[in-house]
Amino acid sequence: MANLLEVKGLTTRVSGFTILNNLDFSIEENELRVLLGPNGAGKTTLICMITGQFKPVSGSIHFAGRDITGWAPDDIFQAGISRKFQVPNLYETLSVFDNVMVSLKGRRRVFSTLFQRLGAAERDRIWDILEFVELAEKASEPADTLSHGERQWLELGMLIASSPKLLLLDEPTTGMTEDGKRKTAELIRRIAKTHTVLLVEHDMHIVRQIGQRITVLHQGQTLVDGPMNEVMNNETVRRVYLGKGKF
Amino acid sequence: MPELVVGDHKATETPALRSAGRAERRRYRAPPFVPLWALIGIAAAVALIGTYPYYGSNAYVLSLLGKFLCFAIFALSIDLIWGFAGILSLGQAVYFGIGAYFVALSLKINYALTHPTRYGGKFPDFMEWNGLTELPHFMTPLISTPFAVFCALSVPTLLGLLFGVITFKRHIYGVYCAVITLAESLILQEIIIEYQAYTGGFNGITDYSNFAGPGFLWFILAVVVVFLLIARALTHSRVGTVLKSIRDNDVRAEFMGYNVANYRIFVFCVSAFMAAAAGALYAAWVGIVSFLDAGPVFSIEGVIWTAVGGRGTLIGPFIGTFLVKGAEFFLSGALASWWQIIVGGLFIFVVLVLRDGIVGSIGNWIRKRKRGTTLHQLIEESDQKAHDRQLEWRPGGPPPTDEPVR
Repeated sequence: MANLLEVKGLTTRVSGFTILNNLDFSIEENELRVLLGPNGAGKTTLICMITGQFKPVSGSIHFAGRDITGWAPDDIFQAGISRKFQVPNLYETLSVFDNVMVSLKGRRRVFSTLFQRLGAAERDRIWDILEFVELAEKASEPADTLSHGERQWLELGMLIASSPKLLLLDEPTTGMTEDGKRKTAELIRRIAKTHTVLLVEHDMHIVRQIGQRITVLHQGQTLVDGPMNEVMNNETVRRVYLGKGKF
Repeated sequence: MPELVVGDHKATETPALRSAGRAERRRYRAPPFVPLWALIGIAAAVALIGTYPYYGSNAYVLSLLGKFLCFAIFALSIDLIWGFAGILSLGQAVYFGIGAYFVALSLKINYALTHPTRYGGKFPDFMEWNGLTELPHFMTPLISTPFAVFCALSVPTLLGLLFGVITFKRHIYGVYCAVITLAESLILQEIIIEYQAYTGGFNGITDYSNFAGPGFLWFILAVVVVFLLIARALTHSRVGTVLKSIRDNDVRAEFMGYNVANYRIFVFCVSAFMAAAAGALYAAWVGIVSFLDAGPVFSIEGVIWTAVGGRGTLIGPFIGTFLVKGAEFFLSGALASWWQIIVGGLFIFVVLVLRDGIVGSIGNWIRKRKRGTTLHQLIEESDQKAHDRQLEWRPGGPPPTDEPVR
């Protein structure tokens, strides 16, 4: 199957430090990929590069057959990549309902939103999504009254609302209780049934619960890439994670 | 009615019950377009101000009412960008001033045609004092008042567009944007003083026939109502929700595919248009325009009125303007030298204590009363509920997609 996302020879430097070093990386359609790696391995940087927050020094990023290297974040979103931030990023004073509404897939230009009305189909879809992330009863509440877990789930709902071809989830379980983590993992597993997902995760329990294929990054390069059991039993990975290895 | 579990449906529910429950759950309390209290309040205020010429006899109060209404439109234009898009402009008077000067110039030129100067010139007297012998050619189109009004409204809007393109497109906002707008209004003030042959300089433009009568007061009131409706329609619509989302979190909005700069430019232009209209009405009403009406002090005063009334409320700027300017009318006689200090202190008080202004604070208080809880309690309660739900949570189906499930 054709690769949905294809990263080739990606290099980036931030104030003299090479964060990503000639990185090759690809995701197939309908895949759920987990990105692992110790702190500073370049996981978040890779996501920032894909979504256009940082510009690469060299290398290319192709998405769905198009070269999106150097595009602006809003154009990359239009191409079909939605991103979840590590810290929940909501519209605090808007209601939960409106948070999902502004995230719905649709026209984004000023003059097309000026006279746009919320159709019945869109309304139903918002409720479907709110029920999926179990926030329907809070629809009218402003987002800043939600608990930490609910905020993470609302952002997941907003991402689904945007009907992306590729979902980038940057540590969605950060700061959650064990129960919350389990539920988030289950949500992600269900999302992955219908979406292509790239998940950055530290928590090995979560990775075990949902992981299929894993890519381990280390010092800006791919260390190992393979199915979960293989990666989990890999000597090098164990050494990198335990901090004994010198690379 | 059986207890409904959100998410997973209990197997014992009948389909009819389930759909009834679903409709019950899917009820979103959207705020009304014009709440009843606002409708009654605005109607009462319009009636009270509009009929003043028939029950009041004080010509000074009448002139103040028209003036305050123009100032309030000006404050509304600030609320639109500051309250709904998070753009703090300290130079909004630029657009007010340009609108006012176009109308004042036109009225002055027309006045001079029928009232020759001391030396017989049929052009504005301040031009004669500054050595001009006839009306400059580039100003002759302003003899037509409709054209002058068109310029008064379109030039500031286009200037707002230009300003928006050069700042927002370059991702300049927040404090830097505020500083640039401040500089903008300083520059305009300097230009007006420097080119006094064309602008009247320090003395401003005065001595022309203005329209300070009941008829024009009603016209200003009509503009106020129309602008309020436009502002409400704008902020209540989809584009308003997007603007508020950009105000709350511009990074998230950008990664949700919104071109943040274009939205900011759009609302800035609308705001510049309203400020220009306020300036045009002001010049026609009071009959004197000076460089102060385009300066930074007036801009900041507008920001203070908005803050006192409550930003992001649309009605707040009107209440703030009438309260602050009204207090100035009553108190500045007794406390003339202290007045500026009092206004400054008021602003500090509002920022420190009454962050949402008068209208916003009343709204918060009512919301608290309705819920019977504070925000803090609400979050705690929400945490507890979320915890309870996690315990009873069971996996369900895949997420809703707008494409067929693969």
